[in-house]
Amino acid sequence: MIEVKNLKKTYDVKRRDGLFKSHRETIEAVKDISMRIDAGQIVGLLGINGAGKTTTIKMLTTLIEPTSGTYSFDGMDAIVHPAEVKKQINMIAGGERMIYWRLSAYENLWYYGQLYGIDNSVLKQRIENLLKMVGLQDKANLPVETFSKGMKQRLQIARGLINDPKYIFLDEPTIGLDAVVTRELHDEIKSLAKVKEKGILLTSHYLSEVEELCDYIYLVNNGELIVEGTKKDLTDFVFLRNQYVFSTKGMDKNVYNGLKRHVRNVDNDAEILFENGKAMITSNVELSTILAGFAIQESLTIVELHKMEPSLEQAMIKLSKDMKKEAEREILYKSLVG
Amino acid sequence: MKYFIKVLWAEAVKQHRNYFNNWMIYISLFVWPLLSFLSAYYSYSSFNVDGTLISYINGNNILVFLMLGYMAMSFFRSVVQSAWNFSRERQSGTLEYIYLSTANRLAVLMGNALSSVFESSIVMLIFGLLIVFSNRASINVNTISLLVVIFIFIIMALLWGVFLNACFLYSRDTDFLFTILEEPMEIFSGVKVPIVIFPAWAKIISFIFPLTYALEAIRQVMLNGASLQAVSTILFVCLGIIMVLLFATLITIVVVEKHMRKTGNVVLF
Repeated sequence: MIEVKNLKKTYDVKRRDGLFKSHRETIEAVKDISMRIDAGQIVGLLGINGAGKTTTIKMLTTLIEPTSGTYSFDGMDAIVHPAEVKKQINMIAGGERMIYWRLSAYENLWYYGQLYGIDNSVLKQRIENLLKMVGLQDKANLPVETFSKGMKQRLQIARGLINDPKYIFLDEPTIGLDAVVTRELHDEIKSLAKVKEKGILLTSHYLSEVEELCDYIYLVNNGELIVEGTKKDLTDFVFLRNQYVFSTKGMDKNVYNGLKRHVRNVDNDAEILFENGKAMITSNVELSTILAGFAIQESLTIVELHKMEPSLEQAMIKLSKDMKKEAEREILYKSLVG
Repeated sequence: MKYFIKVLWAEAVKQHRNYFNNWMIYISLFVWPLLSFLSAYYSYSSFNVDGTLISYINGNNILVFLMLGYMAMSFFRSVVQSAWNFSRERQSGTLEYIYLSTANRLAVLMGNALSSVFESSIVMLIFGLLIVFSNRASINVNTISLLVVIFIFIIMALLWGVFLNACFLYSRDTDFLFTILEEPMEIFSGVKVPIVIFPAWAKIISFIFPLTYALEAIRQVMLNGASLQAVSTILFVCLGIIMVLLFATLITIVVVEKHMRKTGNVVLF
């Protein structure tokens, strides 16, 4: 089990004030993060750009030393023994860098395998298995520079498994990939955790990715942990409820009222607003077929029916508002009690 | 030790596949030193070099004298370039994965230098050996001394490369080392002009470069037939430099990794 408590990382950086002037400044990349990763579990670290995800991952991989906090790796102090940690972890980052483009897929894996001192016969077998797993067995001897973005990313996954790590850190592994390749990678990530019992930390700023893959989620912003929990715990205020925009030809107040009744029969908590001739509906229930059914029942022609994907930014705004309200309530309560 | 050699060999093979994947590279690495060598030789040809301050230089062996200088220089220059090249691993992100692995850092740097020392210099070495062989009448070689000196020379060149590799990894702003070490090494190590005739200030600079001592030892045993005893002082200095380079490298490797972990600059470029 990996467990970090109150992890903090500050950098002392030089800032230019002009051509010859400069001053030093302390930047807090990570202010306070505590988290836990168990074997066979996919843990999500969610946050917008600059939230501190990558710095956290670099600290967990021992590439960066925390300024303060504790890091326990299977009961061992990982800050004191980074070399021991390195034997049992690996990292897979998104993007096309970090592999040698002029080398073939096989040569890349061979090189990284040698860096871990893996016995040659074991390594040969492992490379063949990994290439097969990521579907690159037929391209093993081609230079990486001839690969597509998706193929390079699949090679990155094979490289990240070359030392058969117990824990894997995935830093935005699907960034820039198309839907088909993303789907394949998601299946591979799930299989690594559920079949091969690897502990996985996944950073991402795609809500849907974290929602699909992760057993437990940490949401960070400005280097701090904002909220944590299972997908179910966070559904309301992280993943948000389903949002629909619905309009029909000749949609007036009567149609709107009928729609309201129709939706409320299915979900009494649904929020429905009528704006600019369109109904805006927020619900915990999947309503696409219900809304289409309403149009058929009332012989209305649908002009617009679409489900809006919740974004991380929306979730962050909602969370900030919720937290602000909570803080205001606390101040009010204290002033009344005090 | 087995693990160390595995890493060293893997790094050398990787560098070979990554950088020396076209025969034109070997030629391009040879052309500039060749032109520089020819320029120096024809400059000397304008003068009568017999009776100079250097006992072992004469009109017959000046070609070999210069060739030995340029051959030795190509070994040392190649490791400076390889160190500069290695710092590009920071840009490509692969340095991060090297540091993420359990590989011995010294083995990685040594593998890089090993590949570079031999591959960057191979054409110059073959050309130089042909020149020396065709002028064999003008040289006076002590074979046993030569074997010992070559062994020490190769170790020095490798360690110089490993040390520079470690220095270049300290930060992305160490590229200035390339400018400081590349041309001055050729000027002050006695590649073209023997350091004996340098003014005192230039001699002090020349003493900084390990190539100065290694080159003097090679010339002594190849042109002057010097025995091991005759070059023992230089050899002891060379062994001293080897020890200093080794310790300096080991310390630099630790300092660099500590610095990278503190500043996170393994990913900055």
